[in-house]
Amino acid sequence: MRTVIIGAGQAGRRCAEALRELDAAAGILLLGEEAHPPYDRPPLSKAVLLGTDPGNGLFVRAAEFYAERRIDLRLGTRVAAIHPAARAVETAAGERIGWDHLVLATGARARRLRIPGAEDPRVLTLRTLEDAEGLKARLAARPRLAVVGGGLIGLEVAASARQLGCAVSVLEAADRLMARCVPPAIGARYAALHRGHGVDLHLSCALRAIEPTPDGGLLLIGDGARIAADLVVAGIGGVPETALAEAAGIAVQDGILTDAQGRTSIPGIFAAGEVARFPHPFWGGRAMRLEAWQVAQTQPAAVARAILGMDAPPDEVPWHWTDQFGWNLQVLGDPDPSLTLVQRAEGEHRLTAIALDAAGRARGAVLINNGRDATPCRRLIAGGKVLDAAALADAGTPLRSFL
Amino acid sequence: MADWHRVAAEAELKPETPLGIRIGDVQVAVVRLADGIFAINDVCTHEFALLSEGFCEDGKLECPLHQACFDIRTGRALSEPAEVDVATYPTKVENGAVFVQV
Ligand SMILES: Cc1cc2nc3c(=O)[nH]c(=O)nc-3n(C[C@H](O)[C@H](O)[C@H](O)COP(=O)(O)OP(=O)(O)OC[C@H]3O[C@@H](n4cnc5c(N)ncnc54)[C@H](O)[C@@H]3O)c2cc1C
Repeated sequence: MRTVIIGAGQAGRRCAEALRELDAAAGILLLGEEAHPPYDRPPLSKAVLLGTDPGNGLFVRAAEFYAERRIDLRLGTRVAAIHPAARAVETAAGERIGWDHLVLATGARARRLRIPGAEDPRVLTLRTLEDAEGLKARLAARPRLAVVGGGLIGLEVAASARQLGCAVSVLEAADRLMARCVPPAIGARYAALHRGHGVDLHLSCALRAIEPTPDGGLLLIGDGARIAADLVVAGIGGVPETALAEAAGIAVQDGILTDAQGRTSIPGIFAAGEVARFPHPFWGGRAMRLEAWQVAQTQPAAVARAILGMDAPPDEVPWHWTDQFGWNLQVLGDPDPSLTLVQRAEGEHRLTAIALDAAGRARGAVLINNGRDATPCRRLIAGGKVLDAAALADAGTPLRSFL
Repeated sequence: MADWHRVAAEAELKPETPLGIRIGDVQVAVVRLADGIFAINDVCTHEFALLSEGFCEDGKLECPLHQACFDIRTGRALSEPAEVDVATYPTKVENGAVFVQV
């Protein structure tokens, strides 16, 4: 039995690894458009831009790993079409390759700005290692950088560029930072962090146009602000790579629609990682497409199990993180702004905040520089025990005592 | 040459409460478990982070950044995303003081 995996990113790698772990005889072909062996993207906006050592965080596996595990890795190979009836894929070079099971692990691409002036070559996005290396080279000249989007990637780029000595502006259309993932109180702390490091932060500022200026620079025309820059990075989210799936008649809706184990609408075809939209038990089975390392790390293993006729592994509490100006932020579960946020301050720059629902059950948590609380928080969220907000607010009482 | 270094008074070291220290260029996490005091390299083998800032339970230390787990007694990497073990160092207690050999 041969499984062909399209996309040699984190999810494609994880699916191949899990298949091999579970089945010594499986034929595994991993096809990747990029020139590099699989790499994880989190270091791109952090260590790679800063020029610090990403350790094993970028290329998680040594080059020999794939051959040792008999994973047939073909790089620089773009799949141009899927033929479900013939159970084959066709590469851009015209080669047809047959499969018994097919996995789409095509990820996402960076969303591009769609405003006048966005086609200027000085308007960049960050998704690939080439993007990161190109941006790093440009930042070396210390341009005035304008970042569009106050979400995770935009703020990481802003922090890295500021640390490299660039003048940095951030434009965010919402009235707060990281609005999609943290409560307002946490967004406000991060606004103060960025301003404290000299970032020129513009909230409630939607960008309308980018214009070249006579002095060879750029002018960003936003609501209520005009910002001069030499370079622009747009961090405005990702667009799932679903074109192949759509052309093959697979059901797609801002992501490839799958069941909990990655089965698409066509039998034998699966989707893994950031491209998949699947019913998430944490949200009562609501279909979610999550842009996080955790999903690309663990969901592909559930797909591998489905391919081999095995059931799903246990559910996980959703988790992602971001690193900015040396601060580590971790978000667990869903700390929705509508919930009651109990803050346990453990020092000036160390915080655990737990979001309780109306009944007093933990639904989410936010940790600033306090990763040691991640596991207790994960258990509180998974356990669903009713908690006393006042007792929980006392940072002197260890979190484990609430488990 | 591996030398013995005094790192703490024995009474200061609470069970499963890691102590992170620096000996020369080496970062070390010292942890008291039920069966003794153990020392491992404090730096996660995945990406840079100090394990002594992580969660400690059942003889395991968890990286505070990405939750990779290490066995405090053997240094073994027990879970993703870490693949590579951390070094272990001998410890001893003398006259109420804890020493680590690095
Ligand atoms: C700059 C950056 C920083 C991030 N930081 C964090 C962080 O700190 N914490 C966190 O939790 N998450 C972070 N993320 C999110 C996380 O990295 C992604 O969710 C994850 O990479 C998704 O993995 P994936 O394998 O699904 O997709 P990808 O990594 O995008 O892999 C998809 C691969 O498929 C290939 N491909 C696509 N189409 C084809 C085709 N037709 N033929 C062949 N190959 C194809 C692509 O070239 C790509 O290599 C970050 C993302 C970025 C971009």
